[in-house]
Amino acid sequence: MMYVLRRIGFFLLTLWAAVTLNFLLPRMMPGSPTDAAIAKLAQNGPVTDATRKAIEAQLGVPDGNIFEQYLGYLHQVITLDFGVSYTFYPQSVSEMVWQAFPYTVILVGFVTIIAFVLGTLIGVLTAWKRNTWLDALPTLTGSFASTFPYFWTALLLLFFLGYVLHLFPTSGAFGPTATPALTWDFFTDVLYHAALPALTILITSLGGWIIGMRNAMINTLGDDYVTFAEANGLKGRTVAIRYAARNAILPNLTGFGLALGGVVGGSVLVEQVFGYPGIGYLLFNAVIGQDYPLMQALFLMITVSVLIANFLVDIMYGVLDPRTRR
Amino acid sequence: MTTTQNLTSATEAAIKPPRRFAFITRSAATLWANWKSRLGLIILACFILVAIFAPLLAPYGASQDGFERNADASPEHWFGTTAAGEDVLSQLIYGSQISVAVGFIAGLLSTIVAMVIGLSWGYIRGFGADVINFIVNLFLVIPGLPLMIVIAAYLQNGGLVMIVAVIVITGWAWGARVLRAQTQTLRSRDFVTAARFSGEPAWRIVFKEILPNMTSIIAGGFFGAATSAILAEAGLEFLGLGDSSIVSWGTILYWAQNSNALLTGQWILLFAPGLCIALLALSLTLINFGVDAISNPRLREGKSR
Amino acid sequence: MTNSKTRTKRMSVIAGISVAVMLISACSIQIQSEPDPSIPDDTMLIAADKGSPMFEKIFNPYLFNKRVAASYIYEPLTAVNVLDGTQTPWLAEKVTLPDARTIDYTIRQGVTWSDGEKFTPEDVVFTFNLIKKYPTLDIKGAWQHIESVEIDGDHVVVHLKDDDAPAADVISLTLIVPEHIWKDVKDPDTWRDESPVGTGPFTVGNFSSQQYTMNKNQDYWQADKVEIEHLVLPAATSELDIVTKGFDWAYSYMSNVEGTWGAANPDNKNWFPPGGVISLVPNLAKAPWDNADLRRGIALALDRDKIADAATEEYMSKAGQTGLMLPNQESELNPDIPNDGVIEQDTDAALASLAKAGYTLVDGTLVDAKGAPFTFSVMTANGYTDWLRAIQEVRKQLTAIGINMTIKQPQPAGYQQSIQNGDYEVAMGGMGGGDIFQAYNSLLSSEFHVKVGELAPSNFQRYSNPQTDALLAQYKETVDPAKQLEISHQLQQIVYDQLPVIGLYYGGLWGLYNTSKFTGWPTADDPYAPPQTYDSSPLLIFTKLKLATKDGE
Repeated sequence: MMYVLRRIGFFLLTLWAAVTLNFLLPRMMPGSPTDAAIAKLAQNGPVTDATRKAIEAQLGVPDGNIFEQYLGYLHQVITLDFGVSYTFYPQSVSEMVWQAFPYTVILVGFVTIIAFVLGTLIGVLTAWKRNTWLDALPTLTGSFASTFPYFWTALLLLFFLGYVLHLFPTSGAFGPTATPALTWDFFTDVLYHAALPALTILITSLGGWIIGMRNAMINTLGDDYVTFAEANGLKGRTVAIRYAARNAILPNLTGFGLALGGVVGGSVLVEQVFGYPGIGYLLFNAVIGQDYPLMQALFLMITVSVLIANFLVDIMYGVLDPRTRR
Repeated sequence: MTTTQNLTSATEAAIKPPRRFAFITRSAATLWANWKSRLGLIILACFILVAIFAPLLAPYGASQDGFERNADASPEHWFGTTAAGEDVLSQLIYGSQISVAVGFIAGLLSTIVAMVIGLSWGYIRGFGADVINFIVNLFLVIPGLPLMIVIAAYLQNGGLVMIVAVIVITGWAWGARVLRAQTQTLRSRDFVTAARFSGEPAWRIVFKEILPNMTSIIAGGFFGAATSAILAEAGLEFLGLGDSSIVSWGTILYWAQNSNALLTGQWILLFAPGLCIALLALSLTLINFGVDAISNPRLREGKSR
Repeated sequence: MTNSKTRTKRMSVIAGISVAVMLISACSIQIQSEPDPSIPDDTMLIAADKGSPMFEKIFNPYLFNKRVAASYIYEPLTAVNVLDGTQTPWLAEKVTLPDARTIDYTIRQGVTWSDGEKFTPEDVVFTFNLIKKYPTLDIKGAWQHIESVEIDGDHVVVHLKDDDAPAADVISLTLIVPEHIWKDVKDPDTWRDESPVGTGPFTVGNFSSQQYTMNKNQDYWQADKVEIEHLVLPAATSELDIVTKGFDWAYSYMSNVEGTWGAANPDNKNWFPPGGVISLVPNLAKAPWDNADLRRGIALALDRDKIADAATEEYMSKAGQTGLMLPNQESELNPDIPNDGVIEQDTDAALASLAKAGYTLVDGTLVDAKGAPFTFSVMTANGYTDWLRAIQEVRKQLTAIGINMTIKQPQPAGYQQSIQNGDYEVAMGGMGGGDIFQAYNSLLSSEFHVKVGELAPSNFQRYSNPQTDALLAQYKETVDPAKQLEISHQLQQIVYDQLPVIGLYYGGLWGLYNTSKFTGWPTADDPYAPPQTYDSSPLLIFTKLKLATKDGE
């Protein structure tokens, strides 16, 4: 129980630190949200003083000193009300985030789980068939693919599968005429549009799981109890799956929690290339537009998701492996 | 992902007291014996040679323009020309300098930071350890790329120095965590206890007794950090958050995307720099297979179950 | 270790594949346009509005995040062709200035709102009072000039605060909204106006977050001139989308336009008229840039053809030092200024002028009186690729005369902040474009002159000259076009002689259009409107386009 309490305390402390960092970061950036909006308008022609004032008033750029802003911000965090977006005025931030959230969850969550399961299975296989082509091929291609820059894979898939072969839609989360609804047609349309971005993430993240699992497997396969089990005449496959794989999966699970952060980060690039209306796309636009409220909400959301995932993994780890509960 | 296996191997590794020179020759031999790391070393050597001899190898200057714009491949321009009328092959060759340099410098710096923090964190106990634990976990949890984007937008004008700084700031935490785990394992070993009883100061124990026993793990951390530095640099440049006026693989991709290389069908403009990035990163990953085998004999080639 | 032979074989296979890939790469793959066959001939696919990435239903024409099509729904009193500043009477049938502080609008009869209500002068007065009450809606700043607005039969008379004739051009652009709907709106400054009622040629049809359609307003007051029945505005309007999806009209810079847009469809055309002069903006409040000889030296040292080619892939040409958009503003040009105001590269003259400013060439390096090398930085906004290309070319040319120039690239917001606060040495920026008076006023008027560290709304270079101010004031006081032209000539001379900014090349207006379904687009031969899909240009263009099929019959 002490273990769980400690984890919770740590979780809350980290959360607070992340929340605060999240407040400070955008404010350290040069230029104000108004400057960003005007720079955008100025590309279409000169911007007058009146326009500047009107935009400033429309945005309701934060007032008060930094501490008042911080208190106001903490209040926003607690009430989960982040006010109105600057770049997408007059939309509220919560509205935008909730709109984008499902797409990223479907995309990133789904693909990460698939990659984890698939990668772990292949990892078990490679370790079991060590030093055969069944080992070399997945290991080598997996580690090669994991070094592909996310956006590069995205661009190539987009070009060949999207534009040359016309197999998949090239942008958006659903067809231009579809309207979001809880219907089967819409759901399949969303899956169809998510295919290319999903494939990108799968290609680049699968290798990591394969190699992680392979190494963990090889380690456990060398452990005494496995040797003992084998010596006792248990079948090789039974040993691999019942004994070794079950223990080897633990370190991979830790990686799973942390990898979520990396994948969400990578989704910024992927979503950017595919014009996919998820969290990553919003985040990039928020950063460029100096949209403090939106940036804060998104950063918080990403950090909290990763924190929660890690917290759960920690707890699970503690349950599965009593040794960690020191 | 190379770091995952480090963590595993770190806790499981069989560690012996230092015998340095023998260790280095043995490591080199192990690296070369492993076909994966041998392949990695060869690819890496190629890239380093290209980077060093770029001015000799490249047919034209890196930003020399004035050629026909958007030209297809021809005997004069093997990979064609960019929308600004620059030679793609020359840009690729010169671009290797940036990636190799950023990879090594950023990798080295974040390894050093990770080393200092990870080792002291692993050795000390009490409140200090809790504070470090907290900071490291904070950096681990905050998603790297979004953080990089924000910092890069903030630290503008810095060019490559800025990019290296961003990568180091966001990239040291994993290494620190791995090294800490290893230090904790080692600090209870007999030779450390012996040193402690003989009255050696803490810093000396950490850096003279414990550190040499983690060479392979640190090396692994370095290659891992260099890999992610190369990828991060390319990602930032591609988003236009770096210095778009230099010639690197990331900026070639940025300009290619900007000038619609997909539309003109000059997919080589996108394909080649990305492939170079991937190959360079692959070479480091492959070397790491060998490094892992040094620190963890179970991963060694040929030794079946 | 064991089977090195197989490995050698494997390596050679890999090498073989690499060679094959390289050979294939030699041929590029041409992307073709794949228009949606379900779009009929009287429907225009237009890339005007960019989703971010989804569309929000915001048609309130005064919000800066409005849907672009809000300006196809709400109309101004006059429509302006920003290429030469011509005003076309729109909801006002006639605009006269009895004197320099009164504007008299004769409001058009027979116009109805799209819900069938009659459009009246009361709507116009209501609109002006609305944006007075909610200054956040006064996005063009009309009430900086207006004293009061009154109604007089079918006339609306605007009284100005001062002699301020050019203000008419700003005030006339106000988009008019219906009183019978907006009078009941509680918070018009955050109201989204999801089902807009306007006087314009189109009304909103189907709206989804990735695409919306617009239908022709059958009761439009110029219904006979509008042959387009429907508009389709998708949210996905990246350059890839524009080329591959068969758009009829798009506004977008397109690198290698012949090889992409042009190659995708034989009827794809483009027109890139000049929309502004991209310039070097020296900070006149910081030495040595207060020295006109230095500025002239730099101006003379530059080969503008090369800069324009590098920045715009040869689509735009070098620009003159007067800030005028040629050829569209040719009638404004001061005939006394040589070479249409273009300063040609003349290294000897440049060095002479720099010497006058105290800089001499020593061992290939330009040094000041104390012998220190002359270095400076030029700031541009990160992501403005044409500006970056231009500065890189400038750097190349200045390096040749021994000047060490560095480039700074903050994010657009940081750039905007620095240029407004005067926190830079030299910046890239624009001058001119649109209305002659507004252009010179915002460039030169000391009304906008503030100290470094304070926020300048325009006149970023911090230019101030009483003689110029007097000329600008005279311009405001006159309603006589001949007198205005005379003052304009003098202003051109000032900009040409004093070089408050150094003009480099024309920034383009990037019109892409397709003639297979619609004809009558504005072109260099018939520049009746700029090819832009925002503001009042679309009104001018929608009422000119003809169906191509009809022509054929």
